[in-house]
Amino acid sequence: MRGLLRNNFYGTLAGAKAFAGIAVLLGVFVVAMDNAIPTLIISYALLVMIGFSLNSIASIRKDSATKWAKYKLTAPVKRADVVKSFFVSQLLWLAVGTGFAATAVALSVALHGFPFDRSTDVFMLFVVGIGISLFMGAFFVPLYFLSGEERSEVILVVSLLGGVGMLMGLTALINKRYPGTMTSRQIVFSGIFMIACGAAAFALSCPVAARVFRRKEY
Amino acid sequence: MENILELHNLTKSYPKSEFTLEQITFSLPYGSILGFVGENGAGKTTTISCILNTAAKDSGTVKLFGKEMGDGDTDIRERIGVVYDGDNFPGFWTAKQLSKVMAGLYRNWDEALFRKYLEEFHLPSKQKIRHYSKGMTMKLAIAAALSHHPELLILDEATSGLDPVMRDDMLDVFLEFVQEENHAILLSSHITSDLEKVADTIAFIHEGRLILTEAKDELIYRYAVMRCKESQFRTLDKEDILAYRKRDMQIDVLVADGSKARHKYKEVVVDHTSVDEIMLLLMKGERI
Repeated sequence: MRGLLRNNFYGTLAGAKAFAGIAVLLGVFVVAMDNAIPTLIISYALLVMIGFSLNSIASIRKDSATKWAKYKLTAPVKRADVVKSFFVSQLLWLAVGTGFAATAVALSVALHGFPFDRSTDVFMLFVVGIGISLFMGAFFVPLYFLSGEERSEVILVVSLLGGVGMLMGLTALINKRYPGTMTSRQIVFSGIFMIACGAAAFALSCPVAARVFRRKEY
Repeated sequence: MENILELHNLTKSYPKSEFTLEQITFSLPYGSILGFVGENGAGKTTTISCILNTAAKDSGTVKLFGKEMGDGDTDIRERIGVVYDGDNFPGFWTAKQLSKVMAGLYRNWDEALFRKYLEEFHLPSKQKIRHYSKGMTMKLAIAAALSHHPELLILDEATSGLDPVMRDDMLDVFLEFVQEENHAILLSSHITSDLEKVADTIAFIHEGRLILTEAKDELIYRYAVMRCKESQFRTLDKEDILAYRKRDMQIDVLVADGSKARHKYKEVVVDHTSVDEIMLLLMKGERI
């Protein structure tokens, strides 16, 4: 697994470096700006959380640009571990994105005060970013193995939209369950429910993708 | 003699391309090199893919170290080194990064040995692989394949794209590798001169079928080509003819025993042959 994670890391590194550079510049700008209207900080947090995850799953395609995808299977690794490594890598990069977002939010609050209506809004901001990322990964990996490398761009867009769609769908479901103004407790519970759904989809997607990948021929 | 690799009636078909690998049977004994020769698209890579489980066989058996290899048999794959015909590794890696990845994949990865090969092959460790020449990438792949101390090397067109000097160097590396009696090499190639230099046995594959497997020395010293006129060709016994090919004024006939043919057909010119000529006759010629 160590070699597979290293392989994924090198595949993601160039894109992640470029994205991190942009994220730092944007972060400095966002933190420096007044946060009376929190749109900027919300957009930034979502961008970095989803962006790092997106870069991680997009880099899976790089293996197929050479014979490495085939070569890797001749090494002492199980196919299921190859798939698992993609999921673990995405989680690690999601943690990096979440770290960037948390730092920016913390600095913005420290410099300009608390811009949100309730503290649960911050929690929900991270729920949305992490949730979209998890659903996106859950869709992308099995679909990528199923449909082939040549459709990877479309699959990436579909997965991102699917992730956003799932979060919107869950939000609609929660709003229907709690039609009036929600209490903090209900919001936290809803957030945990959304994250749990994303995590369940992500966890279920791994064996599904492994099953698809088991039949993949090179 | 025990075999490190055994294929028995290996069959694999690709319905979309109508290509079928038909009942491939051969074995590779320990301490030897098997040359696997055939034109492009003959089925060499498909056979290797089935051996290495990167493609699923339809039927037949493939035994590595006496055992059929499944996805979970990582211990068997520890003992195999593989080289494909180019682009083995992502171009954005450096040799140093490749080493780090390999160290995480192979228990027996020998960093010091890999560095020794890098020096010996004049490969810069910090340069991105995409800036290597084709020859350098092949040498890197061979270095990587050897650096986890494999017992079986499977080389799919590993010498293609190398200049003659480099090829010669690599062939020496392969010969040194099989000095160990528990080592062996399956060397797929269409460069017959390479096989003539290093192979102990040569298997000819054509349109998905194995058409001849023979010891190299037999091919070179016993096999022969008869240069016949049309009238002479008509008098030949059919069982003597392995393959024949009509040329302008002559018919070249491949026979398995040159000395027997010289005695039997005194009026016909019988020449020694080469692996290259045998391959051409088997693949472009006709059979009775």
